[in-house]
Amino acid sequence: MGARLWSLFCSLKLAIVLASLATLLVMGGSLAMHFNPSVFGNLDGTIMAAWWRQSGETNLSMTWWLPLAGSCLLLLGINSLCCFIDWARNWRRRWRKTGEYLIHSGFVLVVIAYVWGSVAGFRSEGNQLTIGETISVPHMPEFSLKLESFEPVLNNDGRPLDMRNTLALYRDGTPVKKTVSRINHPLIWGGLTVIPSSFGQFPTGFQFHWPTRGTVGLEPGTSVELPSGGGLRVLSFYPDAALAADGRVLRGGDRIGNPALEIELTHPYRDPWRGWYFLRGRLPFPLVEAGVHIWPMEPIYRSVSIVTINRDPGSRLALGGGILMGTGVLLAMISFYYKRSRGDRPQVG
Amino acid sequence: MTFQTTLLISSFSGYLAAVGFYLLHVRHRRKAFLAAAFLLILSGFVLQTALLLLRWRTAGFLPVTNLFSTQLFFSWTLALVFLYFEIRYRIHSAGLFVVLLNLLLLGSALPRNPAIPPLIPTLDTPLFTWHIVFSFTGYALFAMAFSLGVLFLVRKNRPDSALPPLPVLRKLNEEAIFLGFCFFTLCLILGSIWAQVAWGFWFSWNIKGVWSFIVWLFYAGMCHAKFVRRWQGTGYAWLSIAGFGVVLFTYLGIGLLLESNHPLE
Repeated sequence: MGARLWSLFCSLKLAIVLASLATLLVMGGSLAMHFNPSVFGNLDGTIMAAWWRQSGETNLSMTWWLPLAGSCLLLLGINSLCCFIDWARNWRRRWRKTGEYLIHSGFVLVVIAYVWGSVAGFRSEGNQLTIGETISVPHMPEFSLKLESFEPVLNNDGRPLDMRNTLALYRDGTPVKKTVSRINHPLIWGGLTVIPSSFGQFPTGFQFHWPTRGTVGLEPGTSVELPSGGGLRVLSFYPDAALAADGRVLRGGDRIGNPALEIELTHPYRDPWRGWYFLRGRLPFPLVEAGVHIWPMEPIYRSVSIVTINRDPGSRLALGGGILMGTGVLLAMISFYYKRSRGDRPQVG
Repeated sequence: MTFQTTLLISSFSGYLAAVGFYLLHVRHRRKAFLAAAFLLILSGFVLQTALLLLRWRTAGFLPVTNLFSTQLFFSWTLALVFLYFEIRYRIHSAGLFVVLLNLLLLGSALPRNPAIPPLIPTLDTPLFTWHIVFSFTGYALFAMAFSLGVLFLVRKNRPDSALPPLPVLRKLNEEAIFLGFCFFTLCLILGSIWAQVAWGFWFSWNIKGVWSFIVWLFYAGMCHAKFVRRWQGTGYAWLSIAGFGVVLFTYLGIGLLLESNHPLE
């Protein structure tokens, strides 16, 4: 029984049947994918296991072919592995087929790598970082990512060509990798890949004309000493703020619409005042009273780098599989020409 | 008329005249026609190579980023594959389909704008260059396998001394499939490494990625099918024809009709 099962799993015909089935299933499935972007659109934005939980399970009428094709490919991987083991056991007699069986072993590694990455990895797009900012790596709380510097590279027409991000990866506060990351040169550490995907600018404050001081920039954290002995401190800045019915100030988007600054005013002999200054409106009276006479000029913008953070624990295994397959291809080609030069080829049936 | 256009039209004319001589050979069986056809294809290939090198030098990268450029490059690889089989096995008019496909590609490229678009930063990597080189070499070998598969069926049903014997056609077909599979495997490996560094994942479920995998799986199956007696010969010829249909859909169908991350225009 065991020998028959082994023989079945080493069978060439099984490989052809499984490859044909998988080919037909994926061919048909690809059409379902194309015509149902609402179901399949996010397949590259997340790992397969997460996508299956979110969309696959709930749309079985369109996604049923995926587990079937996946099973065929898994079985093909097992079939390839059995063929490889069978070949390795008879290596002395069959060493001339080394190239072909390296391709088999590489394929097995690639299949395992895909399954591993699809189950244990994650993909996170649109992570925004300003210079000096540190964010936690999603799903990996012990890791954090810091953007040390950022430099967009533009051509003469202002078209973006590249973006140089100096990124540092920390594990429990200890730096583990630092690299200048740009297009096609991501930060790679273990199975983690950090890719600069885009960049932009967003307003972080406003510049004002202050007759006695010239141009003054006010951003969250800015403090200005006043002649009266008190001080002005900017607590927050909303590029587009709205006043709710209950008096709360709500933040809108990141584009300049109705900008507002939250300011704290301190005075040596009075209680501090805290309130919002809507730049399109009048200066609040407590500020005027404290001798603050400012006129808004233009927003202060800061660059933000947008990075994709993906983790695929199988990626190194897949690379190993790719290298094995590439080496196998080269050896198979050498072996092919050697055999052809000796007139050695399968017999015509 | 620019120098590049002159080179393009000259190489097209060389291939066109070569087809004429091959057809004359099919009818009159004269060696002089074969020699003339071979020389014309060789000169067309040399001119096309010069054109490609000139465009590469002008652009600073291998220009294969729009439909005109890929047609020109695919046509060049088809000519290269034909010359490989012609010089190695003297296939003569057995490779006529490949030369005709070459003519079709170049002919449809002639009215297009040959301007080279600026390179998208993501494509500025040797991984892209080699991915494309291996991809089109694989496609060209699959086209040759198609041609040989059709001729195998023609030769089987209508024995004609102008065509090589069946065992030779089968042997050449298997060689084209094997080499095509090897080059296409290298194309996918480099494409996957490039995807990992550019997007952060090495397999994309974009329709182009899916169909490229289908092409690979199909021809991987074919590389095994040649050892199964039932699939040898006629079955293999039919598979070669079907496989090239899959290749055409992957290259042109997806690039022109569907939205993908490998657009042609």
